[in-house]
Amino acid sequence: MEREALQAAVCELDSTVSPLDANADRAAVIVEASALPAIVRRLRDQPQFAFAQLLDHVAVDWIDRGQFELIYQLYSFKHKHFLSVSVFVPREDPRVPTLCRVHPVAEWQEREVYDLFGVLYDDHPDLRRLFLEDDWVGFPLRKDYQDDFMLDRPR
Amino acid sequence: MGIVTDKLPGALEKVPGGNVLVTRFDEIINWARASSLWPLTFGTSCCAIEMLMATGGPRHDLARFGAEVARPSPRQADLLILAGTIVKRMAPRLRTLYEQMAEPRYVIATGACTISGGPFIYHSYTTVRGADEIIPVDVYVPGCPPRPEQLFHGLLTLQKMIKEGETIREPGVRRKPVISALPEGITLEDIQGEMKELLVKENVVDVQHAVDKLKWPSGLNESSSGDSGANERGAGDGA
Amino acid sequence: MTVEVSSLKELVEQASGDDRSPDTQEYFVNMGPQHPSTHGVLRLVLKLDGERVLRCIPVLGYIHRSIEKISEHMNYMNCVHLTDRMDYLSSIMNNWAVSKAVEEAAGIEVNSRIQTIRTIFAELERIQSHQLWWGVLGMDLGAFTPFLYGIRDREVLNDVMEETVGARLTMNYVLPGGLMADIHPNFVHRVKEFIKYFRPKLDEYDDLLTNNVIIQERLRNVGILSPQTAVQYGATGPVLRGSGVAFDLRKDHPYGVYDQADFEVPVGTIGDSWDRYWVRVEEMRQSMNIVEQLLDNIPPGDFLVKKLNSKIKIPEGRYYSQLETARGILGVFIVSDKKDEPYRMHYRSPNFNNLWCLEPMIKGDYIASLIGAMSSLDLVIPDIDR
Repeated sequence: MEREALQAAVCELDSTVSPLDANADRAAVIVEASALPAIVRRLRDQPQFAFAQLLDHVAVDWIDRGQFELIYQLYSFKHKHFLSVSVFVPREDPRVPTLCRVHPVAEWQEREVYDLFGVLYDDHPDLRRLFLEDDWVGFPLRKDYQDDFMLDRPR
Repeated sequence: MGIVTDKLPGALEKVPGGNVLVTRFDEIINWARASSLWPLTFGTSCCAIEMLMATGGPRHDLARFGAEVARPSPRQADLLILAGTIVKRMAPRLRTLYEQMAEPRYVIATGACTISGGPFIYHSYTTVRGADEIIPVDVYVPGCPPRPEQLFHGLLTLQKMIKEGETIREPGVRRKPVISALPEGITLEDIQGEMKELLVKENVVDVQHAVDKLKWPSGLNESSSGDSGANERGAGDGA
Repeated sequence: MTVEVSSLKELVEQASGDDRSPDTQEYFVNMGPQHPSTHGVLRLVLKLDGERVLRCIPVLGYIHRSIEKISEHMNYMNCVHLTDRMDYLSSIMNNWAVSKAVEEAAGIEVNSRIQTIRTIFAELERIQSHQLWWGVLGMDLGAFTPFLYGIRDREVLNDVMEETVGARLTMNYVLPGGLMADIHPNFVHRVKEFIKYFRPKLDEYDDLLTNNVIIQERLRNVGILSPQTAVQYGATGPVLRGSGVAFDLRKDHPYGVYDQADFEVPVGTIGDSWDRYWVRVEEMRQSMNIVEQLLDNIPPGDFLVKKLNSKIKIPEGRYYSQLETARGILGVFIVSDKKDEPYRMHYRSPNFNNLWCLEPMIKGDYIASLIGAMSSLDLVIPDIDR
């Protein structure tokens, strides 16, 4: 399916899905946090989409807008197309339902995002730090992360 | 037997029925220590491929220097070749490994990361800026990663240090660390000054300059008779 | 809906439970971070029942160097050089992934000479990476000779590449807008010589290891990964293809000049360690085919585009680019806010996602099988941690 057609088809899936045009190369949609697992499950199971693999999960800290953007990159082996699904959550209370039940690899990808951004995943079976020690304070990839240890590059 | 870097210290005296070696205790012990270093297989990242695998392989062959008996257990090793970045989470483990090694123990820090933090020094919330913040280091081998030959230079430097090193009267006296592979006449301050100048300079690539400068000399083509035309075209068109 | 954040200590205490029956005793064993078979500083917490593995919990972070944070304070030219240190056995492919992302985002067109040279180098490095993996697999299973053979042939190829690139491991050869230097005049000639040298050697590999009954016993029907599990657990590259899913970005979404080359994608059948082994050995042959086809037709042109500023500015937006490294899909995700530094830089590393296949692969199997199965995943730990 072509990029525009795919984007339109995914948006027709549910009223909680809306298009996103920030990506230059692939279809992208915004999904409301509460509807995420159901939508991703339908994207996986419906044969016209068949998004079998969760390739990647990224978080972006939009500090000016007070939001985290959580991006899920999906791939379909059957139709050979990509889709990026975005979820916006408030920075003060970043909570989103987990995708572990739909794509098992989400368990660790979500742990990475929790570790570096502090996004909490509802119903996650094993939410703990992945790269840093359990007693680490703060979430280092947030834009406002401060640390006595870090050095700034001399300009 | 490999490369003999130094002959047996002491004097051989002929006596009826054989020879007698007359030497000093310190010298013979240090000679033995220097000639059979057992490295610990400790590699955290990129340098491990060069420092442990390539040097252990048939081309470079660490065995020539009597240091090929790589041990996975620190209890059996006396040389710690630090290959790769040390991060905060690894630091206590590295300290434990070092303390588990039996005295006398020696440490070679290879690569920019173990010397100073290397490319991961600024804006990193985990990288330790130099392994010498955690354990004492004897020889520094710069590079990113160093070539196997540079490690050999470091190893020979360490062997020299061991031979000149501690005595039985003063065991465990920490030797002054050495930077291996600095050419004669160049000091550390020279390099630091040069680096500072480069960092300050505005870095804009002059493409034409790069293309002209990086052109291969035309004489090189003659050595390879079996070349296809594609090569000469390529080299000529770069200008 | 609950969110509970636990720690490793709690997890282990919870799992060790109160099973104190006389005939079985479950216990935990730490494998790593200092262990010769984990290829670096991977730590596995294994829950064992006798010699059987009940759970395998990977603990990461012993080489987490915060590359993504550092990249946010670097211009795009500099970001490229950090990627060499991630998956150092596919350093040129890593460079290429970032360069590709930046070029697509900034609209830099590179000529076909650059693309051809990049493809040739990527394939040569794939061979090199698999040579090392082959040697280390032998060593993990207790045979030292394959290591010597693998390293011996790797050095031969290393010399060929070093002549052009100037470095042995972290090559820094590809950069946004072209290459660091033109290929050496001897390059084509020497690569041909190498292929002539290495083809019979690959048959020797087969005699030594592939057809060896001990190796077959230790790899066949060990660590079986079904295609469904492989897809669900995020596997890509030879791990996915070993399970029978014929997915290769070089074929399915061609980049570089892969569409001009004629090659096959080797695919396994049942997804055991043996299939993954076979896929990689076969990939070395296919890579040589690709290189041979491209070598005589390197088009003329420059090795660097003109009008290139080291402070490349990218229009606002999000850019995702990916390519197939020796271990799977490396994805580069750039969020730009019009500055010369990325607002957010993320790497989807193949090893990070492949690692999670380990537990479903060896659950219920012997601890000795774990070594072979892990070796067949071909993990590079700094790429997992970044």
